[in-house]
Amino acid sequence: MKKILSLLLALTIMLSLCACQGNFGSVDLKDSIAIPDDGIIKESVIKQIKNENAIGVFAGKSGDFKYEWTIFGSDIEDTKEINLQAQISKTADGAVAVVLAQTDAFGFSGLLSIHLEEKWEEDSATAYQNDQPVASVSLTGSKDNTILNCILDGTLQEFTIKADVLPEEEETTEDIDPPTEETTIPTTGNDDYLSRPGSNDDKVYTDGKDKYLTDPIPEGKPQPVEPEDQDVDKAKTYTCTFSIECSTILNNLDQLDPEKLEMVPSGGVILKKTTVTFYEGESVFDVLQRLCKEKGIHIESSWTPIYNSAYIEGIHNLYEFDCGELSGWMYRVNGWYPNYGCSRYQLKDGDVVEWRYTCDLGHDVGRGMS
Amino acid sequence: MGRDGFQKYHPLVNFLYFALVIGFSMALNHPLAQGISLVCAAAYAVQAEGKKAVLFTLKWCLPIMLLTAFMNPAFSHEGITILMYFPTGNPLTLESILYGLSAGVMIATVMLWFLNFNRVITSDKFIYLFGRIIPAMSLVLSMTLRFIPKFKAQMDSVVDAQRSIGRDISQGSLWHRTKIAITVLSIMVTWALENAIETADSMKSRGYGLKGRTAFSIYRFDDRDKMAMLYLGFCGFYLLAGVIVSAFGFRYFPSIRYIGLNTVTLSFQFVYLILCLMPVVLNAAEERKWKAIHSKM
Repeated sequence: MKKILSLLLALTIMLSLCACQGNFGSVDLKDSIAIPDDGIIKESVIKQIKNENAIGVFAGKSGDFKYEWTIFGSDIEDTKEINLQAQISKTADGAVAVVLAQTDAFGFSGLLSIHLEEKWEEDSATAYQNDQPVASVSLTGSKDNTILNCILDGTLQEFTIKADVLPEEEETTEDIDPPTEETTIPTTGNDDYLSRPGSNDDKVYTDGKDKYLTDPIPEGKPQPVEPEDQDVDKAKTYTCTFSIECSTILNNLDQLDPEKLEMVPSGGVILKKTTVTFYEGESVFDVLQRLCKEKGIHIESSWTPIYNSAYIEGIHNLYEFDCGELSGWMYRVNGWYPNYGCSRYQLKDGDVVEWRYTCDLGHDVGRGMS
Repeated sequence: MGRDGFQKYHPLVNFLYFALVIGFSMALNHPLAQGISLVCAAAYAVQAEGKKAVLFTLKWCLPIMLLTAFMNPAFSHEGITILMYFPTGNPLTLESILYGLSAGVMIATVMLWFLNFNRVITSDKFIYLFGRIIPAMSLVLSMTLRFIPKFKAQMDSVVDAQRSIGRDISQGSLWHRTKIAITVLSIMVTWALENAIETADSMKSRGYGLKGRTAFSIYRFDDRDKMAMLYLGFCGFYLLAGVIVSAFGFRYFPSIRYIGLNTVTLSFQFVYLILCLMPVVLNAAEERKWKAIHSKM
């Protein structure tokens, strides 16, 4: 009896050892890897990221600035020894200057995230080399600090990152309209809303909320239009731009459900800024759903009667709560996060709609600042 | 058919076997392992109960299996393979269909295993196993498990008795029949409550659960049971190791990923097969032996 028992025990131990095999001499990619002082990362580590199709996170420090490189195994084309050291400093005019130690291409594109101690109020930023814009930078972070995220392939060595002054500048004349339009909205927008028959203005709750529990809309921002009141006029078509991104996940990979790792696109961009045609009277939700269907992007929504709007549970198989308890999808139109659901936001010509994944109830994607 | 030799093993062997197969049936979601468990549970039920088990499978297990498979994609839209869109705009995904199918198979399998469990682990076996450790709990459990068949039998006799005094439940107007049905229900509820109290009182008056009280049992833990325990212990350990090294790994969302079949993972599947098949093989061997002895006489 004892002999058989000990045999069983030995068998179990052997099996569990078998499972652990093959991990000797390699690094654990689940934790972030510290960048050495000289910045040199061995080829074997890059190879391992490629072979395991993993996401490698390398953390470093330059003066007061902490920075991280996020490298996707699926992006690696060439494996070689690389230098991930970055020298980061602040320029006199408040921009951030970056000097990379690497002199030639990495053989992949990696995401550089620079942690700032201060808060940038702007929506986005751009990297410049000799005053020429060379790359766009997305801003994430929390309530009181900002993270700059920039995709680099190693060919760019010296650049400065400056915040964009105007929210979402576009090249076409149509798209320059929104800011000017916005300034004229306060009166017309409100009048529109009040004169609309069947609108929710007949019931105003004492705490200032409307019957769908929406707090008062800030001045100058469009009022919600109930889905049942939206008259879609298919004769009139306009255009707006949509983008879907989840770069905040890349700053919080440790919180992400490991099963969802493969769904995170490199650089965090699910849909690049795309111009979309819509009919007059359509809401953000209508257009988002149609756009995702067209592009074959997975989306799941559920109708929420108490807010009289659809709620976006997940896009691209990245769901709410997949990256921490405070995570989920939010939308921003012309730099403002509406405080009501996307079915109640009626689009206007030239609107810039951004769907962003947050890991911190919106604080990391700039909610409540503009 | 009808001869279930495994039933005659020691209750501990019976119970350990069911604990293992039901536990692993609920824990493993690899399609091959699920298939093994479903086939073995059905084979055992049919071997021991014949037509009745086939009827149970077709009447209960199959509909529940299909219902789950259809219901899941209606509510779960996760998965990367989009097949079509629902009117709400949510996608129908291949992954959610397959997951629904897997969940349906799991429910049907566990139902079949419990059909076998109820036949093999009789209430006296249950009391024998747990009467000492958790007296109150095991009495309640055994009473609950016996409640439905007992209730059904009592109801039949009550309906018959009512019919003989002129209150036929199968005839008359709807109002008349409802009135009789309510009477029968009232009788049944009263009977059930009274019966429960009576059973509890009678057990108490016999000193059930008291310290030092012994209970008669005809179960003997002999060499045959020792061998069976050893066999179950080996299978249990081996499969547990398989679960720990995730040899049965199968993931449905967001995309289907699984551990490929190789000699190591196949060995775990094989051990699972011989564990689930144990009573079927034992019964078949016994049958053969019986026939062999019989023909010599």
